[in-house]
This record gives sequence, structure tokens and C-alpha cells, in this order.
Amino acid sequence: MNNILLKATGVTKRFGGLVAVDQADITVERGRITGLIGPNGAGKTTFFNLISGFMNPDEGDIIYKGQRINGMRPSNICKLGMTRTFQIVKPFPELSVLENVMIGAFNNTANTARARQKARDVLELVDYSEFASISAGALPVAGRKRVEVAKALATEPELLLLDEVLAGLTPTEMWGMIEVLGRVRDAGISIVIVEHVMAVIMSLCDHIVVINNGKNIGSGSPQEISDNPAVLEAYLGADFTANEVMG
Amino acid sequence: MYSRPKISFTIYAVALLVLLSLPIYSESNFIVALMPDGLSGSALLHVGILIFMFAYLGSSWNILGGFAGQLSLGHAAFFGIGAYTSSLLYVHFGLTPWVGMIAGAGLAAIVGYGLGFVSYKYGLKGPFFALVTIAFAEILRLLFLYFDFTGGPLGLLIPLTSEYSFWEYQFREKEPYYYIALGLMIFGIVISAIVSTSKFGYYLRAIRESEDAAEAVGIHSMRYKMHAVALSAAMTALGGTFYAQYTQYIVPDDVIKIALSIEIILFAVIGGSGLVMGPIIGTFLLVPVGEMSRVIFGGGGSGASLVALINENMPGGEKLAKYIDYLSSGGGGGLAILLYGVILIVVCLILPRGILPALNKLGAKMGQRDE
Repeated sequence: MNNILLKATGVTKRFGGLVAVDQADITVERGRITGLIGPNGAGKTTFFNLISGFMNPDEGDIIYKGQRINGMRPSNICKLGMTRTFQIVKPFPELSVLENVMIGAFNNTANTARARQKARDVLELVDYSEFASISAGALPVAGRKRVEVAKALATEPELLLLDEVLAGLTPTEMWGMIEVLGRVRDAGISIVIVEHVMAVIMSLCDHIVVINNGKNIGSGSPQEISDNPAVLEAYLGADFTANEVMG
Repeated sequence: MYSRPKISFTIYAVALLVLLSLPIYSESNFIVALMPDGLSGSALLHVGILIFMFAYLGSSWNILGGFAGQLSLGHAAFFGIGAYTSSLLYVHFGLTPWVGMIAGAGLAAIVGYGLGFVSYKYGLKGPFFALVTIAFAEILRLLFLYFDFTGGPLGLLIPLTSEYSFWEYQFREKEPYYYIALGLMIFGIVISAIVSTSKFGYYLRAIRESEDAAEAVGIHSMRYKMHAVALSAAMTALGGTFYAQYTQYIVPDDVIKIALSIEIILFAVIGGSGLVMGPIIGTFLLVPVGEMSRVIFGGGGSGASLVALINENMPGGEKLAKYIDYLSSGGGGGLAILLYGVILIVVCLILPRGILPALNKLGAKMGQRDE
């Protein structure tokens, strides 16, 4: 029980008649990378918004470190140690990369010099120090995603929620980011990652949760997921078997 | 990070020295000779006081409008609150305006928190927040016109004391006002510089750039925006007290008018909003241009009709000469404002981010060439 950082049960969100997230569950254990996958429109990002406080669930419980966080402000959830990134990255475009990360770092200090030092350390961790003085609005997509992760890391989270930080990257950029994520995990930070790129999910995650049409359709280790017929059906259609895909 | 060229620091220091010593030689023959006809050195001090006051008001607005990106078009309301609070306390209770201005600032801050709370509670952003601020200022103006204790439409005359004294915030000469206004401006710059480099300033800029992203990294956006409204309002109120003491007479249509709100913003935005020195630079460039255009093209007009001139049949060269003659003789009554407007439009088109960022860029370029 103590090992469980985040536990969401029966989470439901309706938009009018559409049920975007329908009784979805997720359990995140400490020190792990948990993948949240599903086809386009499955409700992954909505689920993320519910967990991180950007939306209010209609039903269900979201328990973070033993505390119910339904309906809390995102900033207060961040203060509890859970920080998210955005799929459509939201840098502070007029500010430099270093200042972007400093704003994250101010989460735990009111001292500008200390925040600047913390930001430098984080940029070092994500391999992006050389771009510290460039304004974030001028960066290409890969750079913005790097800054997005750095900003979130600078808040010193225990749990990092990453919404498609690999989407739109070239293979080289992608493997650079994967290396960074490995380092983040080694630093003792738990991660929930929403991702489309299956190869990445399979190699990176310790545990995977699959949703489709807002519902859980499977969870388990990467191997269990790749053997799960319901998952394969959701992704590839009913006629595929595990062997055809993975072989 | 803004790598600021060291040269600018020297320029600011020299400028401050010149401003500090201006009253000493404002009546010298040299200055008087430079001034347009019929104007004394004291007119120069008056322009200086105007510049300092608007530079200070611009700095105050900049905390909310520049750093936090919350467009307030109703700052005259806080200006009026400051002016009326200290003046009413003085008129009715004999309280020195030096204390009254603190009360005015406090009241403005409380009102600012209230305005911020109501606006942000209901998620008003951008133009909608701007509309609320306009409405707020207009309502306040009408209330001040309506009530008797404010003097209504007749305004409030601040009784002159038999002897002018620092304690009463009343002076016969312009010089004390000049130095108080200069002090206010420096106060505004210092506060802005502190805000700019503090956690508070970074958070305000983050909110300006993206509120969602700010929330995601732990910034309680509503709370910080409310702090920004309150601080900006309190500072603006101090300017209101100064204005009341300088003119000794306030009336709602003067101190809470929309035109004042607009003017405050204009200087700040043209100079470069969101930067510590932006509003200062903007005011120092624009107020003299406005005053000069009024002096050169102002006046009641020489009686010549522009329409008649246009319709007149004569050679082009001769006609052009007549046009210039018409302009330089103070022909167009509204021409000063027209010209001022054209200058503003041109500046906005060429330098959309403001004058100061352009100057900084230029400075950086010249610095590179030197190396």
C-alpha cells in the first residue's frame, strides 16, 4: 500500500452525451514508469487532465499519497508533488529557456539565485544547457518538449505526468529524450507517460495501462500487454493475433 | 536572460544627475533662450513634473499590464481613489497628505483585491478584464460626481495653508514638487526592478505567457494576479495624491477620466511594456513630443482657412509655401493632436514591441561592432 503513489478508481468524465472517460482506473507505483496507451481519441489526455486537476471528474476517486485530490487546483496538486506536461507544449515563449525552467524551480524556493542554480542543474540533467539563453518561443518542437520536461522536473515532483513528449520527434531526438527519461527514473522520480509510439512504450515502461473509448481494456507488464487480445484488437482490428504483430 | 549593455547604466546615471540639477539652472539665460516664446524656466519644471508623474504611473500600470499581461484600462480609478482619499482626509480631519496617501494606497489595494477577485473568480481574461476595468472606473467617476461628501461635480478644493510647509505637502515654488515627483518615479523604478527579478515577477510573466502552464508548475494564478492588481493600484494611488497636492484642486472628470487611463498605458506600451525602464523611456520621449507639438502647432489659429487655401488656384510651389506658412503660424487648432496621433501610429507600426526593446537591440548591435 505504501508503495502506491497514485490510485484513481472509477473515474468518469462526460461532455454532454459523450462519455470521454468511463470508469477508468490507474494505479501508479513508486519508482516505476507507468505507460498509459490507447488509440486516438481513447480519452488518454482527458484522463490526464482529470488526474492533474485541469478538469473535474464527474465520478470516481483520485487518491494521491493517501489524499483525495478530486477538484483540487492544478497548482495545489503540483505543490503536493505531482507535475504534468502538456501534449501541445506550453512554453513561456517570451522568456529564455533558463527562465522557463526557473519558473518551475520557484516551486520550492523564493530565492532567485537558488532557483537559477536549480534550473541550471535540471538543464544539465536533460542535456539542454547549451540553449539556456535562447528564448523558448524560438525553439523547434524537440527543444520545446525538452523545456517542457525540464520545467516540470524543476518543480521537484515525486510523480511526473508526461503527455506525449515523444510525439513529433525524429528517431534521434526520440532516443535522446528516452535517455533523459531513464535518467529521471534513476533520480527516483516516478513517471506516468502517455504515448503513441509502441516501441518506446514497450521498452521504457514497467507497467502499462490501456484504455479505449474511455474504458480500461487491459493492464500489466509490456509482455502481458502485447499478448492481450483485447489490446491488439483495439489497435489493429479483430483479425490480428499476437504472433502476427510481434513476430 | 536579458544581457543588458553596461552603457545603458551610465546613460541612466547621467540622466539622473541632469534631472537632479535641472531646477538649479532652469532660470538661467541659456534655458530661457531655448524655451519657446513667452515661456519661463518654470514651464520646463512643469513639463518635468508631468513626465515624472506619468513615468511613475506608467511603471505602476506596468506591474499589472506589462508583467502580468492583464490589460487594465481603468487605472484612473485608482488614481482617483488616491487623490480623493488623501484630500478628503485632509479637508475633513486635517490629516497630513503624507499619511493620507498611505491610507489612499491601502484603500486602492483593497479595492484592487476586490476587483481582481470578482474578475478572476469568473474567469474574465484579456479584453473582458479590460472592459471590467473601464466599467469600474466609469462607475466610480459617476459615484464621485453624485455624492456630496466628494464635492460632486464641483470637485474638491484643497484649502491653502497660511504658510507653505513640507508637513502639509503644499509648496509655493515648483521645485519641491519637482523633487517629490522625481522621487516617486525613482520609487516606481526601484519597485519594478525588485518585482522584475523576484519570484513574484517571474510568476507574473509566466501567467502572462500561459496561465495553464503556470498552474501546471505550481503557480496559483488567481492569487498572483490579485496581488498584481493590488500592488499596481496602491502605487497608482500614491500618484493620485501627488496630483491632488500639485494642482490643489480635483474633480472627478479630471482624475477619473478614461483619457487619463489611456495616457498612462500609451506611454508604457510605446516605451516597452513588461520592462522595468519601458514606461520611463516612453514617457520621456512622448510627453515632450506632445508638449512641443502643442507649442509649435498650437494656438488659436491665425484666421486663415485651410479649406479656402486648398480651393485657391495658384502655382504648386507657392501653394506649398502657403501650407507651411499656415502650419507654422499656428493655423490648425487641432493639428497638434493630429500630429501627435500620427507620431504614435508610426511608432506603433515600426516598433510594435516598444521603443526600449528596439534601443536595446541597437545597443547590442553596436556593442558587437566595437569588439
